[in-house]
Amino acid sequence: MRGSVLPLLALVLAAAGCVPKKAQTPQPASSNLVVLLPDPGKTTAGRAVVSNDKGTLDLAEAGAAVRVTSGEAPKSTAVTPSDVQRIFGDALAALPPSPQHFVLYFRFDSEELTDESRRLVQDVLSVVKQRPDPEVVAIGHTDTTGTPASNVELGLRRANTVRTILVDAGLPASSIAVRSHGEGALLVRTADGVFEPRNRRVEITVR
Amino acid sequence: MGRILRLWVVACACITAAAPAFAQQPTPAGRIKVVSGDAVIVRGASTVPAQNGVAVYQSDSLRTGKDGRVGITLSDDTQVSIGPGSEVKLDSFVYDPGAGQLALVLKFIRGTAAYVSGQIAKLAPDAVRLETPAAIVGVRGTTLGIEVTSD
Repeated sequence: MRGSVLPLLALVLAAAGCVPKKAQTPQPASSNLVVLLPDPGKTTAGRAVVSNDKGTLDLAEAGAAVRVTSGEAPKSTAVTPSDVQRIFGDALAALPPSPQHFVLYFRFDSEELTDESRRLVQDVLSVVKQRPDPEVVAIGHTDTTGTPASNVELGLRRANTVRTILVDAGLPASSIAVRSHGEGALLVRTADGVFEPRNRRVEITVR
Repeated sequence: MGRILRLWVVACACITAAAPAFAQQPTPAGRIKVVSGDAVIVRGASTVPAQNGVAVYQSDSLRTGKDGRVGITLSDDTQVSIGPGSEVKLDSFVYDPGAGQLALVLKFIRGTAAYVSGQIAKLAPDAVRLETPAAIVGVRGTTLGIEVTSD
């Protein structure tokens, strides 16, 4: 007898629209918009995949957009460039300047820059000076001649050469990080003991 | 015999417990690069005013008021910015390409945001997860605008 009343009660409650479970945990429905934008300084875009347990949608070209509401499958939607500006204008205006990468090359077994790279230093300095609060990471590398341990040291001396140039140009030392990968991250893969000018380098990131 | 084994287990447990404490010299995940209006970093129970150059760590959230904007660059070159009345959480950030350790999880909680992918998305696209309340976004070298509204 008791066993048959409970399911009946549940049925009546459900029919009356007072299923207690939902009322106790009000989940505000969330509506999300995802727009694929052109990559900075380009007209092309990458790709993105929007998914939840109800479905999956691919975004493959600049301007493609998806609307997802809680508990529903993602749906593609149309947004115009003026929609993008209206909705995302503030966020986009707060995007920091894109990180810039440079590679400076060095003479054999030396922390002396090649002549060509000496000229490139000016480009690095001008990017650094454009930024209100620049951060620089300089990672030194070597070719595979010499021992791994001595190459870690040589890579560090090369990175420190870059650091000195930047400090002399007025950048605070605290905003420059130097590291060395020695012969551990070759640009051009070679056997051990191979002279390779393209591996004698410092990779610089300016953020 | 049993006792020695137990000692070993205890010793190992102590070493494992101590290791994370050693590693807890936190390295910043990134820095604030652009800020205007009312913007803070939410770190656990406290808030830090968002200012240019201030470090951002894994588990931090960025939150803006009605007139606020803030943009950060992470150490893998990922860029994230939010508009007014917005919040995004840097749920997970690991960037150690030498050791093959890469992870980026961003939670878009409310408002508007822009995202520009960095090295993690390039090296290991599956290590990047952008979460909104209603979906998960996977990226393949991408710039995105994300808006979260609730009603």
